[in-house]
Amino acid sequence: MTISGEFIAFMGLALVAIIGGVLLLNLTKVVHMVVALIFTFVSIAGIYVLLSAEFVAAVQILIYSGAITIIMLFGIMLTKHDDEGETTTGKGRKVLLFLGILGFAAAVYIGIYDFNVVQVPTDLHVDNTMKIGEALYSKWVIPFELTSVLLLVALVGAIILAKKDEKEGDKE
Amino acid sequence: MIEDLLQSSPGLMNFGIFFLLAVVLLLVVLGFVTYAILAERKVLGYMQARHGPNQLGGKWGLLQTVADVLKLLIKEDVIPKAADRPLFIIAPIIAFTPAFMVLATIPFTDKFQFADIGVGLLYYIAVSGMTVFGMVLGGWASNNKYALLGGMRAGAQMISYEIPLVMSVLGVILLTGSLNLTDIVLQQEHGWFILYQPIAFIVFFIASIAELNRTPFDLPESENELVAGYFVEYSGFRWAFFMLTEYVYMFAMSSLITVIFLGGWLPPLDILGFIPGAVWFAIKFCIVVFVYMWLRATLPRFRIDRLMEFAWKVLFPVALANIFLTALIKTLFF
Repeated sequence: MTISGEFIAFMGLALVAIIGGVLLLNLTKVVHMVVALIFTFVSIAGIYVLLSAEFVAAVQILIYSGAITIIMLFGIMLTKHDDEGETTTGKGRKVLLFLGILGFAAAVYIGIYDFNVVQVPTDLHVDNTMKIGEALYSKWVIPFELTSVLLLVALVGAIILAKKDEKEGDKE
Repeated sequence: MIEDLLQSSPGLMNFGIFFLLAVVLLLVVLGFVTYAILAERKVLGYMQARHGPNQLGGKWGLLQTVADVLKLLIKEDVIPKAADRPLFIIAPIIAFTPAFMVLATIPFTDKFQFADIGVGLLYYIAVSGMTVFGMVLGGWASNNKYALLGGMRAGAQMISYEIPLVMSVLGVILLTGSLNLTDIVLQQEHGWFILYQPIAFIVFFIASIAELNRTPFDLPESENELVAGYFVEYSGFRWAFFMLTEYVYMFAMSSLITVIFLGGWLPPLDILGFIPGAVWFAIKFCIVVFVYMWLRATLPRFRIDRLMEFAWKVLFPVALANIFLTALIKTLFF
């Protein structure tokens, strides 16, 4: 394996993503966990850039790192913000967990060891944003519209839920 | 020159060149920030019938900001005892890094741009959205109720106003059919988008003021309600970083408005084409910056309950209507 710039970049990003994930599980304060999560999201966006999917990368940052994490932060800060996670430990449980992880790792290893990746010469990086748009509005138009209806329902529901409190609120 | 560099094969040499160029850009931006602060104080001063800084550095107070920065650098770095130490330290960095990152995609002239990203506009909006973490986390980590309120306001305001910002610019994207900022500039050869998309420009401009946390939308740092907002507990160099973030964003946002709506480096008339593009860019850029200062001197602050209503009930529908109108016009006439 040759060490190219792409490899170094991938290793860096993957390392940050994994460290972020591990920290997310291991930190005790909830707000710190969210910060670790931001690092994971951003480095995954970086991996998308390496795969020449800039559009997906930008959307990843915009939606996951930008909007969703902010909502989580708000939720945490407006509730019990200094809540520390408690650790539940038991010896048998730990052993079981370790066995489970080993099994999972073995399964993944067997799964991907002989996985034959067909190297197709692609031109994915050319006009990929336009191609995403074309695919969404021609081939996948029905799932796309269904998703938008679902989001609309969620939006209306959120407004109704939020409106309920205001009945006894002060009227201007 | 940059074009050849961007397309050449990567190597240590190119890395060095880009690194140097980035350092030069950082210095230019720092110079801009230094004099933007002075210019802001002078403009505010004259608009309020006073002189502004006029002691240090001659009649115009040219060294005032330098002295202020020096004072901040040698100030004691205070971290409150009850603060969340790691977050308190990392928050200004999280706030500042995206502010400088977004500058990479902005085409200053046809030859000077750091990254010709296909989704440049989206990149700007996505990355600039990360700054809000720095503010929210800074406000939270300070363990101070005013700072927390300021951080919350910053978060709510910036997330809300990002939506009209994106929606208004969609009209321009519909007309150009591209998210690349260079393409957007090149499409404006026959007329700037401020003429084709006046509604989008107004919505974008208002939302951009809110994104920059400037008056009349400076609720996250309103000094007479919240002492100072999310950076109450910060002092010295960390506080300077928050201020720097704000002014670097002003630099970036003015550049973005110049690029999207005012034709970037293109001259207003073909006859004036002998003046280099960089000069045109600088002139338009300065006009936008001046308008920001002018608005700050003129308008009072919004009320917090009207702020959100304004974003969701006025700007957002107007931006949506603008998209609809643009799509209609495009299918009918183009």
